[in-house]
Amino acid sequence: MSGNLERRCRRVLRLLPGWYREQWQEDMVAAFLEGWLTGDPAADEFISRAAGPGFAETASVAGLAVRLHLTGAGAPRRHFAWRQAIRRAVLAVMLAHAVLGFNEFMRTAWSQRLLRLPAPPANLITASPSGAWLTLYCLVAVAWIVVFVTLVLRRYRTAHIVAAMTVLTSLVALLRAPSTRVMPAPFGSWAYWVLLELVPVLAMTAFHRAAPAPPRRPWLLALPVGWLLVCAPLLVVEWTGNFAWVPDLPGLCCLVVALACLAQAPRAWSRQGGDSGVWSLALALLAAVAAANRIATISGFLHDPHMIGVSLVELLILLVAVALVAPDAARAPTATPAPPRHPHPVTA
Amino acid sequence: MTGQAFFVLTALADGPKHGYSIVGEVADLSQQRVKLKIGGLYGVLDRLAAEGLIEPDREEPHNGRLRRYFRLTTDGRRALAEEAELRAATARVVRLRLGLTGAQVTG
Repeated sequence: MSGNLERRCRRVLRLLPGWYREQWQEDMVAAFLEGWLTGDPAADEFISRAAGPGFAETASVAGLAVRLHLTGAGAPRRHFAWRQAIRRAVLAVMLAHAVLGFNEFMRTAWSQRLLRLPAPPANLITASPSGAWLTLYCLVAVAWIVVFVTLVLRRYRTAHIVAAMTVLTSLVALLRAPSTRVMPAPFGSWAYWVLLELVPVLAMTAFHRAAPAPPRRPWLLALPVGWLLVCAPLLVVEWTGNFAWVPDLPGLCCLVVALACLAQAPRAWSRQGGDSGVWSLALALLAAVAAANRIATISGFLHDPHMIGVSLVELLILLVAVALVAPDAARAPTATPAPPRHPHPVTA
Repeated sequence: MTGQAFFVLTALADGPKHGYSIVGEVADLSQQRVKLKIGGLYGVLDRLAAEGLIEPDREEPHNGRLRRYFRLTTDGRRALAEEAELRAATARVVRLRLGLTGAQVTG
């Protein structure tokens, strides 16, 4: 009798993740039908033909579906480990943006004599743009720092808005580049924009109030530490005039991810359990992005066999390093600690 | 604690209930101001269970379907009592500041 109504209800419930439907669908259908059916056969027959989940009902299921898909709260280990790995990979990309943004902001400010410091050495003066581009350049650099910090502090709405505006600004710069012939860093190539800006910013939707919070102190400390470990040594290398030893940005990404994989390798091989696998999975994701960015930018060196060779070596280093953590990453979906508690069906 | 969560916990305060009866109880308790939709109901149940405030109680067959009942946990009972105390204290302050008596409020 309630066949049609039930079918419409089940169609709406298909918005929910499979694992959740498996657990809750029958209960939800029962609750929904009880809300509609009266017990009077004639009335129920009419209701079954004419009624169905309305807009508010459908919207409530869609809202629940979005939350479950994005946060993985209550999901089986496999789903939860992937979402955790995505969240960490996104945070790492935002950290990289923030470190580079801080570095570029400081160098530009120093070069433009905006800081009360002695003039920088001649070989450290960057060919910075001027006027509106300089303002934009500084704003974007600072915006990435804001995105990273707000993400760590769980101010997700602010992070999403600032990140979206920053990505759109980069897009405008990219679209205008052919006519203006101005492409100031940190704006990069299309590959950079898609792989390291658009995709991570879209993946930021995985951050949600119901998702586990990232530990604040280590992530916030990683900003100055990252600058000291990556940017400061490169500045020294540039200062000494050895520009040939400074990798381009895609190469730098490959090397930094490779080093992170090497640092993670002992933990991955000791099979300590915990969330080591999630870190390995996050590093594997980062390695895939860094490798794709490196491969996409090799086309810029078509007339420079030396740079093609250097790029291939960077890729090889990355490949070897990620191979060290790959087994741990593969185990992550099953070895990750259980996600936040969730009401399991009773087996009465 | 959100309004929806508060009403769901209150609905479960006098004993285990299944999904649809929670919806009805919440509507009654809120004088029809809170009408939980199916997604909203299970979203709230999810969160409360994740916070350890409710837990599954039993399943019972009804019209060929299994009804799943939920009950308050000890933590849930304590959290509800604290929230009720907070809301009552707030209501007292509101009445004082507006110069209202109980009769005026309800009348």
